[in-house]
Amino acid sequence: MTALTKTTTLATDYFSVFELPRKLWLEMSVVEQKFLQLSWKLHPDNFVNATEEEQELSLKRSSELNDAYRTLKDPVARVEYLLAIEGERKEGEKKQQAPPELLEEVFELNESLDELREAKSAGADIAALKSRLQAAERNFGEKLGEVDAQMQLTAKDWDAALDNGADDAARKKIMARLNGHLNRRSYIRNLVMNVAKELEEA
Amino acid sequence: MGRIVGIDLGTTNSLVAYIDAQTGEPKCIPGPYGITLCPSVVSLDPDGNIVVGEPARKRLLTQPERTIYSVKRLMGRGLADISEELKLFPFRVDAASKNVIRVQLGEKSFTPPEVSSFILRELKNWAEAYFGEPVDRAVVTVPAYFNDAQRQATKDAGKLAGLEVLRLVNEPTAASLAYGLHEKRRGLVAVYDLGGGTFDISLLKLISTGEGDIYQVLSTNGDTHLGGDDIDNLLQAFVHEQILQGNEIDFSPHGEIAQELRKELIALKHKLSERESATLKFPLPNGETFESEFTRGMLDALIRPVIARTMTPVKRALADAQLKPEQMDEIVLVGGTTRTPLIRFTVQDFFGRAPHTELNPDEVVALGAAVQANILDRGVSNMLLLDVTPLSLGIETYGGAVGKIIPRNSPIPASAQDMYTTGVDNQTGIEIHVLQGERELAKDCRSLARFALKVPPAPAGLPRIEVKFLIDASGILQVAAKDVRTGELQQIEVRPSYGLNDAEIERMLEESIEYAEQDFAERQVIEARTEAESILAATAKALAGEPARAIPAGERSKIDATVAALKEAAAGQDYKLVRRRIDELNQATMHLAELVMNTAISTALKGKSVGEV
Repeated sequence: MTALTKTTTLATDYFSVFELPRKLWLEMSVVEQKFLQLSWKLHPDNFVNATEEEQELSLKRSSELNDAYRTLKDPVARVEYLLAIEGERKEGEKKQQAPPELLEEVFELNESLDELREAKSAGADIAALKSRLQAAERNFGEKLGEVDAQMQLTAKDWDAALDNGADDAARKKIMARLNGHLNRRSYIRNLVMNVAKELEEA
Repeated sequence: MGRIVGIDLGTTNSLVAYIDAQTGEPKCIPGPYGITLCPSVVSLDPDGNIVVGEPARKRLLTQPERTIYSVKRLMGRGLADISEELKLFPFRVDAASKNVIRVQLGEKSFTPPEVSSFILRELKNWAEAYFGEPVDRAVVTVPAYFNDAQRQATKDAGKLAGLEVLRLVNEPTAASLAYGLHEKRRGLVAVYDLGGGTFDISLLKLISTGEGDIYQVLSTNGDTHLGGDDIDNLLQAFVHEQILQGNEIDFSPHGEIAQELRKELIALKHKLSERESATLKFPLPNGETFESEFTRGMLDALIRPVIARTMTPVKRALADAQLKPEQMDEIVLVGGTTRTPLIRFTVQDFFGRAPHTELNPDEVVALGAAVQANILDRGVSNMLLLDVTPLSLGIETYGGAVGKIIPRNSPIPASAQDMYTTGVDNQTGIEIHVLQGERELAKDCRSLARFALKVPPAPAGLPRIEVKFLIDASGILQVAAKDVRTGELQQIEVRPSYGLNDAEIERMLEESIEYAEQDFAERQVIEARTEAESILAATAKALAGEPARAIPAGERSKIDATVAALKEAAAGQDYKLVRRRIDELNQATMHLAELVMNTAISTALKGKSVGEV
């Protein structure tokens, strides 16, 4: 059994758990391999016959490892996490105001959703409304794809800034852009989910 | 420390398995009938004894009001959850049930964890009789899609049965352990597990590394109310309809006839898995006999909707793991229901490859549980199981919405922190409502627990309480809170919304002694005494007989002394001493037994010719 002492602490952040720099492009196979390797060492299975203190420590360490793995595996969660540890995103920050350039479309969409609900409760024909909403759903779905593409580009800028040793101001600028993408993404994603839910119920 | 076993606590049948030290292979332990399957049926005798397994199953026909089956469907559930179950299953729920359901068996009522504990105790007894040693620890399997309350209820059942449950392991994951060990194949594996009452699909990656084999669950999905029982119910409704077409019969006063018919229909279902058609003959209460020919096509038409319901979770699991059906390298079928040809065909068609059926689908989960038990027992191993949580964990937020903090299919153990503060000055408590499920609104998710954080009086927004949620390797939630400003830790008792609290478990533990069979040592004493009595009686009879006269005086006094020693030992509690004295008496009476035997033979041979012998 591997001795698990208090000094076997995990690194301070999820990137260093996997001995990686805080870059947004990750070689997933490296992460996977490191994850399995650390799992062998930390998993509670190895500590069933150990002292209670060691058991608790193993539970804590292995859950931290799993949290790190789960977060870094998901590209969006990875960006959110990076901004959080860089102090550029507050816990639970999700701006719910519509991005200005989308205002008009969002307004139209909300109108269609209202009409759909009204038509449903009045028992009216909703076929036309449904197809309009389906078109809107596709439209916002595409926008979601665009945001993701933009986020990838900005992520590359971030990695390049790290490589070039860019100064704090330059980094903060990139992070502000990433923050914008995240907010926009979460807003559009909520819209798409709402429309999908209404359509499903219709 | 006693021995450790793996237990499959199933809806229809339960099994217990261990690792054979010689071969290193997992093996199921047979019960007193020589069969490894223990029907998950419990009955209460009029004199207060608990009967479990095959004899209890027989009582479904003779004493249905004192007998219960499929109790797993009630584990960790509230009264409001089970209205559908009550339409289909003859559960007699105690009307006075509160948070935790109580079911009526004769004049007494029990909670589902208690009923399950009777089954676990029976299996514990099987294993102890088999090993001749006490068993005190177990790995127990649960459906992968079981929520926290259902898992907690299963763990409680283990505790009530006198077992330390070292780990709850998901059934499909356990099956994959047994499968991987047996087949030695690696790659992406889909486990399709359709049992008596639950359906699970798990997708795993089997990886060989320098340190050993890793079984990594990528995603899991399922339906905890879908299984062979549903097929039986459909078949029963179908045949009822047919019977009623030709006869005017009210089945309701004939609980035992309905059970008898159900038994016949299950047999019919099994026959139709083997051949294309079968005949059902059933005597009706009006003296007539119902006779009808059934084809596999008829059964297929009935069960197609059930199979269709399994495919939604299969597709979700694949989507969550970002995999396509054709990427799976191996398909493993688990659960007795997967013997149905239409299921095999449907699964094969969907994944585009033939499923594995080498391992007995009834035993494979218990075998896997034994493998995991062995891993935990040894503390170090060349196998490692990495599982996931099946359902997202969330906290109720403003307006009844759910904020997800640990998404489904996260590897476990998993944790999440959340920071809380107050909304008004001098607020002294913050209510937290923990939920499990995928829906957006709290009312549509499973309520796991509600608790209040204690906050010292302060201006609004100033207190900062950090709450840490942790899902352990068994998939069970733990909560801890810390006041960030003072660093003070808060002990949080998570009172499960639909579970037993510690006090209730303590009380049940005390009560359970009333129902429990004697513990291992006690049973050993009783068995040794019984054996002593019979050998003492046989010796006394032999000594009184004719052949005993040929025994020399010295030998005779030796026998008398040994008899006295055994009698003395049998009056005490040391079963090992009793056994030793029995052996000594056997030794001392060897000559006597020979003489008795010879006399018996010569008596028997008297008057017979050599040819006849």
